[in-house]
Amino acid sequence: MHLVIISGAARPQARSNTAKIIEAFRQGYEEGGNTTEVWYLSDRKQWTSAAAAFDACDNVLIALPLYVENVPGILLEFLAGLKPKTEPGTQLSFLVQGGFPEASQSRCCEAYVKTLPAQLGCSYGGTLIKGDMFGLGLTSEKNRRKMLVGFTEMGRQYAKTNTFDEKTVGQFAGPENLPEGQLRMFRLFGRRVQRVFVGRIAKKLGCRDRLDAQPYQDWVK
Amino acid sequence: MKKEVLIVSTLPQDHPEALAAIRTLSEKAACRVMNVYEKQFSPCVGCNACWLKTPGLCSIRDGYEDVLKAYLACDAAVFLAGTALNFVDFRMKNVIDRLLPLATMYIHIVDGQCRHVPRYDKEYRFGLLYAGSADGDYLNRWLDRVVLNLGGSSLGAFPIHQAKEVLACI
Repeated sequence: MHLVIISGAARPQARSNTAKIIEAFRQGYEEGGNTTEVWYLSDRKQWTSAAAAFDACDNVLIALPLYVENVPGILLEFLAGLKPKTEPGTQLSFLVQGGFPEASQSRCCEAYVKTLPAQLGCSYGGTLIKGDMFGLGLTSEKNRRKMLVGFTEMGRQYAKTNTFDEKTVGQFAGPENLPEGQLRMFRLFGRRVQRVFVGRIAKKLGCRDRLDAQPYQDWVK
Repeated sequence: MKKEVLIVSTLPQDHPEALAAIRTLSEKAACRVMNVYEKQFSPCVGCNACWLKTPGLCSIRDGYEDVLKAYLACDAAVFLAGTALNFVDFRMKNVIDRLLPLATMYIHIVDGQCRHVPRYDKEYRFGLLYAGSADGDYLNRWLDRVVLNLGGSSLGAFPIHQAKEVLACI
C-alpha cells in the first residue's frame, strides 16, 4: 500500500515538529512493506508535486500543527487550490498535533477537517490527535524519541486498518481534559515552574527581554 | 461617543459587499478601515520568536505590526473575509494566525482548560463578516475559540450582508 503524506506545517522541514512526527509515523507504516511519499508545503516549490500526488493517489494523509483552532493558513491555501476528485475511492485522513496537553483543544479543528474529504471528493479516514507537542523540537534527543514512539505505533496501526480507529486514537490522544488534581497543581506551581523552564529556553535562544514584555503598550486603549 | 471600530478586510478594496458593510458599520461607529487584500500578509511560520526570542514582536516584518497596534487601540475589531471550503479563506486565516504576539508563552488555566496568558490588559472584541458560502455555525464556534485564546469575547460571525447584526453587539 502507498500513502501520500502532505505536511501542512509552515515551519521549514528541518525545524518542524510535524515533520518529526511524520518521520516517526512513516517508520511504523512502512514496516510491513508499505511505501510513503511526503510533501512539505513549507517549501512552495513542492506544491505542484503535492497537488499531483493528491490527484494520483487514493490514500492521503494530511499532517498539521494546530494553528489558532484550525488548520494553518498555508494549508488552507493549498487545499483551496486542489481540484476535487470526481471518481470515488480516495481516502483522506488527518493528523493534528498541538501544543496544549488536552485533546479537547483540537476538537474545533477536528470538526472542520472532518468536512474536508467530502468537499474534496474523498472519503474520511479519521483524525489522529495529539497534544503536548510544543517542546518536541526543544527537548533532548532522548526525550524526543520517547515523545515520538507512540506515533510509530500509530503508523503500524494505520497500516493494518488503513483508518484511524476511533477507540485507538481516542486512547492515544491522551486526556480529553486535564484531571482536577493536575489542574490544582498547575494553579499552585505552574507559574513559577514555567518562569524557570521557559525562561531557560528563551535565554538559550538569545532572548534578552521579559517574556511578558509589552512592546505596544502605548497603543492600548 | 461613538465606539472606535477597526475593520480589517481581506476582500478586494472595491468589493461591493465589503463597501456596503463598511458603510453600515460607519453609521454607528467611528471606523478605521485596514484593507489588507493587496498586502497579502505572509503566513505565520511558527518560529515562536514572538514568544521566546523577541517577546511581543513578530519576526516577519511585512507591516502586520500596524494591525497588532490597531487591535489594541480600538473598542472592537470586525474582520471582513472571503470564504473557501466552507470556512474563511486563507487570506483571513493568515491574518488570524498572526495574532500570536498578543499572547505570551505562559499558560494559565481558564475554565478548566490551558490558555496562554494575554500579553496586554485588554478586552478584545472580535466580529466576523464573511462573503460567500460558509458554515455559519462553525464559524461562530471557531471565532469563540479564537477570542477565548486572548481572553476576549466574540461579537459573532455573520454573512456580510448582515453587518447590522455585528453592529448591535458592539
